[in-house]
Amino acid sequence: MKKFANLLKKEIKELVTKQLIFTLLFMVILYNFIGQVSKKEVQKIVGVQTISALDEDGSSGSQDLLKKLASFNYKIIDQSGKTKEQALESAKTNDSKLLVVIPKGFGDSLAALKPSPIETYSFMRSFSLIGTRGQIIVDRVIADMNDVQSNNFLKEKLPDFDPKSLKNPIKSKDFIVVRNHVAQGSANQVAGLMSQQSMLIPIVLMMIVIYSSQMVISAIAMEKQNKTLETLLTVPIKRTSIITAKMLAAGLVGLISAGVYMFAFKGFVGGMTGDLAKGTQAAGGALMRQLGLTFSTTGYIVLGLALFLAILVALALAMILGVLAEDFRSAQTMIMPLIFLVMIPYFISLFADMSSLSLPAKILILAIPFSHPFLVSQNLYLGNWGMIAFGLGYMFVIFVVLTIFAARIFSTDKILTMKLRLGKKKAAAA
Amino acid sequence: MPNVLSVIGLKKSYGSQVAVAGIDFEVRTGEVFALIGPNGAGKTSTLRIIATLLTATAGDIKFLDHDLCKDPDFVRERISYLPEEAGAYKDMKGMDYLHFMANFYARTPEEEKTFVDRAVEITKLGEPLGDRLRTKVGTYSKGMTRKLLLSRALMTKPMLAILDEPTSGLDVLNALEIREIVRRYAKEGTSVLLSSHNMLEIEFLSDRVAIIDKGRILDSGTPAELKEKHGAANLEEVFRSSVR
Repeated sequence: MKKFANLLKKEIKELVTKQLIFTLLFMVILYNFIGQVSKKEVQKIVGVQTISALDEDGSSGSQDLLKKLASFNYKIIDQSGKTKEQALESAKTNDSKLLVVIPKGFGDSLAALKPSPIETYSFMRSFSLIGTRGQIIVDRVIADMNDVQSNNFLKEKLPDFDPKSLKNPIKSKDFIVVRNHVAQGSANQVAGLMSQQSMLIPIVLMMIVIYSSQMVISAIAMEKQNKTLETLLTVPIKRTSIITAKMLAAGLVGLISAGVYMFAFKGFVGGMTGDLAKGTQAAGGALMRQLGLTFSTTGYIVLGLALFLAILVALALAMILGVLAEDFRSAQTMIMPLIFLVMIPYFISLFADMSSLSLPAKILILAIPFSHPFLVSQNLYLGNWGMIAFGLGYMFVIFVVLTIFAARIFSTDKILTMKLRLGKKKAAAA
Repeated sequence: MPNVLSVIGLKKSYGSQVAVAGIDFEVRTGEVFALIGPNGAGKTSTLRIIATLLTATAGDIKFLDHDLCKDPDFVRERISYLPEEAGAYKDMKGMDYLHFMANFYARTPEEEKTFVDRAVEITKLGEPLGDRLRTKVGTYSKGMTRKLLLSRALMTKPMLAILDEPTSGLDVLNALEIREIVRRYAKEGTSVLLSSHNMLEIEFLSDRVAIIDKGRILDSGTPAELKEKHGAANLEEVFRSSVR
């Protein structure tokens, strides 16, 4: 145990370098900065915005339209008395997002239930999606006014009927059924919320796998490059202890690094969506609870276990890939196969439904151990405990097999003789 | 003198390539035994097998009457190995490196301190490392690193020190210093198995010599015996005579 602790301490010290601490701090500061900047921008958009309005009509209909816009938290700058060109110039300089031009005859056309055109000029000072929000609001106001106008007409002509019922004689009440739970809501809404919730798992997994694996691969490659591996292999410590110390150190440092990364990322995303998402999150949360689509304590434990097993598999695989690397530089490219193995199930889970995949595709997905943390989260929601047990068991078996293989490599000549010389082969061929 | 190491019929192949083609030798307690030969003769493969890094294709190796292949942990506790192209952890300070390595062998903190003190004493010989032990290994010259590694290899006073080209790449003064250190520890009871293609170094250091070429031992004995047998003035001439 003393020897193991000695080695573990050295491995951790080697991984926690000034460069790593600096990179992590830089990432926290950078993401926080971007988050704060984005937050201010979002606040600007959510807050009062300026619209210029040129009302050439001056009717009660045009006034109604402008009042309705003002009720949507818009500051209306009246450009009355100006020509369209003058109003455009003025709106450009007063930082208006939009110029609404209501032409003469708008109120009359509205009263006669004839098409009543208005003109809108959006000032695109940036090409962000958030920048186009002004146009969306105007469209909504016009749609509301169209609705009110047609309702008034129907009420006048058919006073005994409800205009809403006349326009929409068929009404649909949407329900969602998940196992034994039934709730009112749309399937689209639930699917959207589910993808939001499960977006975190692949990001966490990706970060930890990439950080930890890179550390294991680099740790072995550095031993080779610095010519310290041979000496280490002849000291009186079990080869399995060498493997375990390297994996544990990389796992711990990788976990902490990924944690710091996630913390920084949360600050970034929180800044971007914080104020916009608050309302929808509360409503969505209630619906998900009604449908039983939230994790219980057991669910979280199972999910944690799945992530932990996936990390162990990645570390064992990284250990083998590290042996193949000749030096630190080649170690950097060794991480690529691992990243692909994590990316494949992530993208498939984004765009396809596992149950509807063809048999070969299904087998491929199930064979990749990193698919299972994604599948476990979905199966937890659906109560597929058989599949969950299979996933956890499969990852454990793969981990044991890879670890035995890594231990065998470390116990034989292969640790010194096994190499992958892709670059050199290409050079030789050239 | 009893044998620390006895090697019988040792063979090592890498696929179809034969590195060691069946050699026999023994190392006695407190003696310096040298394998001499050109590059690719099989010296490093032999030393790596005895250091428990590689497994033999065939042969019987006994270390203090223990089967080396079956009981590598027993061997590792009692030997030390200095590879030809060894390095130390560049981000560690020299002193921390010695403590780190001593920790694997010491049973108590006191014993660890004894080992480290002994290593520090070795580093003080000739041109001393002195305060440089408190700086990072990455800043050391090749000679300083080699001296640090040699002190690491000898600090535990192992039963058998396996030194592969101990003065490889060093200047004359550093090489002389390291030879003196090896000689001194051999006198104090550590058996040394070393390899070199520097015949003059071997003549100065070794009690007995085996000439190895193409994986086979061509001749062995004390330098004086070999010179007399081949009617040669030095070991270089003995080697030339043996390979003909």
